[in-house]
Amino acid sequence: MDSSGSQQIRLSAIGIVVFSLFLAVFFRLWFLQGIDRQEFEAASFSNRIRVLHEEGPRGRILDRNGKVLVDNRTSLVVALDREPLRQMTSDERNALFIDLADALNDLGVPIKVERIERGYGDLRYAPQAHVPIADDVGEEVEVYLRERAERFPGVIVKRTTTRVYPYGRVAAHILGYVGEINADELERFGPEANDESALLELGPEGFEGHGEYRLGDSIGKSGVERSYESVLRGKPGKRVIEVNARGDMVDVVESEPGEAGNDLWLAIDVDIQAHAERLLSTKIHDLRGNYVNDVRRGAVVGLIRVNAPQGSITIVDPRNGDVIAMASYPDYDPNLLVHGISQNLWTQLNDPNSGQPLVNWALQGAYAPGSTFKLFSAYAGLASGYLSGGNEVIEDRGVYEVENCSGESCTFRNAGSTQYGRTDVARSLTVSSDVYYYQLADKFWNLRGQYGETPIQDAAAQFGLGSRTGIRLPGEQSGRLPTPEWMRSMNEQYPESFPRGIWQTGDSINSSVGQGDVLATPLQLAVGYATFANGGTQYQPQIVLQATRAVDPALPPGQAGNYTVIYEAEPEVLGQIDIQPDHYDKIFRGLLGVTQERGGTATEAWNAEPTAWPFAGKTGTAQVTGKADTALFAGFGPAVPGVPAEYAISVVIPEAGFGGTVSAPLAFRVMKPVSEGTLIPACHVGQEQACEDARRAAEEAAAQDVEGSQD
Amino acid sequence: MQRFQARDLSAPWRHVDIALAAFTVLIIGFGLVMLYSATRRFDAGLTPTARQGLFAVVGLSIGAGVALVNYRKLLDWWIPIYGVAMVFLFGVLTPLGSEGDLGTQGWYRFGIIDIQPVEFAKLATVIGVAGFMATTSFVGLKRLVGALILLGIPMGLTLAQPDLGSSLVFIVAGLGLLLIGGVQLRYLLAIIVIGVVGIVAIMNSDTLSDYQRDRLLVFANPDSVDSDVRYNAEQAQTAISAGGLTGYGFGNGPSTRLGYVPAQTTDFIFTVVGEEHGFVGAGLLVLLFAGMCWRLWRIASLAADPFGLYMVVGILMMVFFHVFENIGMNLGIMPITGIPLPFVSQGGSSMMTFCIAMGLAQSVHMHRYS
Repeated sequence: MDSSGSQQIRLSAIGIVVFSLFLAVFFRLWFLQGIDRQEFEAASFSNRIRVLHEEGPRGRILDRNGKVLVDNRTSLVVALDREPLRQMTSDERNALFIDLADALNDLGVPIKVERIERGYGDLRYAPQAHVPIADDVGEEVEVYLRERAERFPGVIVKRTTTRVYPYGRVAAHILGYVGEINADELERFGPEANDESALLELGPEGFEGHGEYRLGDSIGKSGVERSYESVLRGKPGKRVIEVNARGDMVDVVESEPGEAGNDLWLAIDVDIQAHAERLLSTKIHDLRGNYVNDVRRGAVVGLIRVNAPQGSITIVDPRNGDVIAMASYPDYDPNLLVHGISQNLWTQLNDPNSGQPLVNWALQGAYAPGSTFKLFSAYAGLASGYLSGGNEVIEDRGVYEVENCSGESCTFRNAGSTQYGRTDVARSLTVSSDVYYYQLADKFWNLRGQYGETPIQDAAAQFGLGSRTGIRLPGEQSGRLPTPEWMRSMNEQYPESFPRGIWQTGDSINSSVGQGDVLATPLQLAVGYATFANGGTQYQPQIVLQATRAVDPALPPGQAGNYTVIYEAEPEVLGQIDIQPDHYDKIFRGLLGVTQERGGTATEAWNAEPTAWPFAGKTGTAQVTGKADTALFAGFGPAVPGVPAEYAISVVIPEAGFGGTVSAPLAFRVMKPVSEGTLIPACHVGQEQACEDARRAAEEAAAQDVEGSQD
Repeated sequence: MQRFQARDLSAPWRHVDIALAAFTVLIIGFGLVMLYSATRRFDAGLTPTARQGLFAVVGLSIGAGVALVNYRKLLDWWIPIYGVAMVFLFGVLTPLGSEGDLGTQGWYRFGIIDIQPVEFAKLATVIGVAGFMATTSFVGLKRLVGALILLGIPMGLTLAQPDLGSSLVFIVAGLGLLLIGGVQLRYLLAIIVIGVVGIVAIMNSDTLSDYQRDRLLVFANPDSVDSDVRYNAEQAQTAISAGGLTGYGFGNGPSTRLGYVPAQTTDFIFTVVGEEHGFVGAGLLVLLFAGMCWRLWRIASLAADPFGLYMVVGILMMVFFHVFENIGMNLGIMPITGIPLPFVSQGGSSMMTFCIAMGLAQSVHMHRYS
């Protein structure tokens, strides 16, 4: 039958279609499960697995005696878990945010709805990461929110560790602060970092760090928090969790707790540090607003205001380079920075009108060293053979006329045009004769064929001036030792700022007394004097002694026997100067005379507050056009032949006045109790009475004025 | 003697298609196991599975009963069967009916029992069209128009719910019926053209709800729609693929366990099979369905009369399209339209309907000599 035959064909057609489509299903199944499997398996994995990183607590920072300068405390943070929030409609979410802000405000946590909204929309965090919206809330907030988890979905309270500073502002510049890693740091130190040497910025060799930085991690931003980041940073832990389709955690697949970082022992002695800071700040407060004579070419042309915008005291141990104290004014309260810095605060901390409190002037400030530089000039004169070859004694008439030169610019004067008469090397230092060095520099320049163009600069360089000491703290300036070559190249590069490219006698003369284009950091001065004090070994200044791990974390990290040392900073010799004994003696006598002889520029200051042992040093008063002079003092003690000096100090206060009346007294005031062993221990922030007493004592001391020479 | 024996051999019980029955029971068993796995995370225990098992037992019993009855009796009953089904299908659109989870007005709720009349209507329509084509004497265009009306009524009522997947079942089953019913190919072509135009029109009208349109569009152009819809399709494929060759094992499929697979007890239950039992398990299930279709096709080709032939082809097309569309959307080769996987997806109406359909097919096979 025709229709039956046709029916068979049609039925077969149906069969073929059905069969082919089953085949298609089968192939597709094989394609998915057999061929593309791995790709989808990864997708399935990332779908349901979340890796939460938890930072290990940072190591603590101790002073050289194990006193804790930076500790950790647990703080509660209200954060948003945005996964459940995303499931809401925007109306529901807005209502929740308003409700949350109200609840938090009622609990005494001031917060605006906009802050919560900003947190919700913060693209810097990964979608699963928790975004903090309120720091440091009380336990009651945690209890309140935990009990109302249904009402506040996606709002969590988590525990984080926060830096705490038992001594408050003390050593804030050295310690530095910690903040959230920024995009630039993430690029340089994060997982994609390709410059291995960049990591050396974060710690000494051997501590290349754990590397794995992620958005939201903390990182040291300044001070040792930055330069020893890789020592201090805890090893991050992680929790791998499985979440269901709604984002709820179902299971912890893997948990690896973070490890605490290493404890860092500074070379700083917190008692000396606090003492120096206190005296520095009270002195500067006391100075401000006074007026001093404005002297130009030996003549008083008016009065000039003492602004003293900043200042620093640096103490290093000449025996090994340990930095015992490094006070910089103005300071800041590091507690303000533990939860990130607001734009306002940042502006304030960097405002030149408030003295840029974040800057550590001891190594980030470069000043004309003035007469403190004469140590290096004197050494150059002796070591070159010029002075020691029979030219040592001159007649200082207060004024020096450059040879073969006439006119006003050929005349150079002592401060106040004082005449010192017969002057040798020692006396030139003790009374601070400028004429002595003017003449030396003039001769050197005239005889440059014999002594070279830059004998003084070369000598200063041997003591560490003109280049960074390499202290492991961020931001160190290199200072400057001007040379004819330097002048030429500056003139070529910046003809407007440096209109003169040819070195002249006057440049040598100005440089010889630490004026002109010479710049040195307070740290370089301290290191230079320490180098002389120990007989010529230039140690790199060390800010850190060692790193340790606590045996029992519950006990104080500095307690004897409770730590194992895992890193020790070795004293590093940067250079060795072979100072001939008779040269050393002459300079030593001169520097000792500064405090011990009649006519010494700091004799009165020392007599007012004598240290337990003799102190040697040099005052400096550097002129800066249009501003009050920079007051400097650099020295060392005990200054006893055969006894190694233990402390080298530099005190530098710009726009302050004379070195002999401002900085030298301050230096002795700092060193007096240190030398006597009567130093009052630094006070904790909690010890209000002790802090108040110390402050008052410092104020009284600052009020005592001493008369002193003009240089 | 020989003749007697031969007559004896024609007794209906001797012609049960054991293979078809076996495929049916195996698929149902497989389905119950997977349903148990898919519902475990709700802490529901055995309840949903037991309930579905009960439906299966009842369904198989009714199917067995239907098989024992000579299918030719339906030649007298197709009009009331079709009519009652249409009444119920219409009734669901009135306030008597209720909305399902996804907004389709397709349910009657009687206490603990929910009934989805469209499932029954699919089989009733197959019976109706088969009966109409087998009993009417006029051929050609007239018969075609009659069949089209019989198909068009449930299609329209289903679209009105709106339930796109089920209305596609009517189209596919209808095309199969019309093809086997001898409709000239040029008419069939015309119908297909009109169908395509109709689909385009429907897509551009307000008949479909947004989610349905999105589900279709995601297949054609994944970027055009809201991510929630794309999410379903991606999750299903991800889970199936991650199952690999042998799967994560019973109850261990992470996407299933953690609820990433949407509608995993109904439309996307094949995903559970794929994830937990891999290519071995999912392939086996596909093979079982292919075997079932092969037996249905064989029954159709052995059918004693046009009515039996039409009915079994209709059932074949109905089963096949459900399987192909459902698994196809799980695998990402078909657009997402919510229709159940026969015997496997959770749901009593579907289970009953397909059991009865198998019973009817058996009847056609068993009674071919009576």
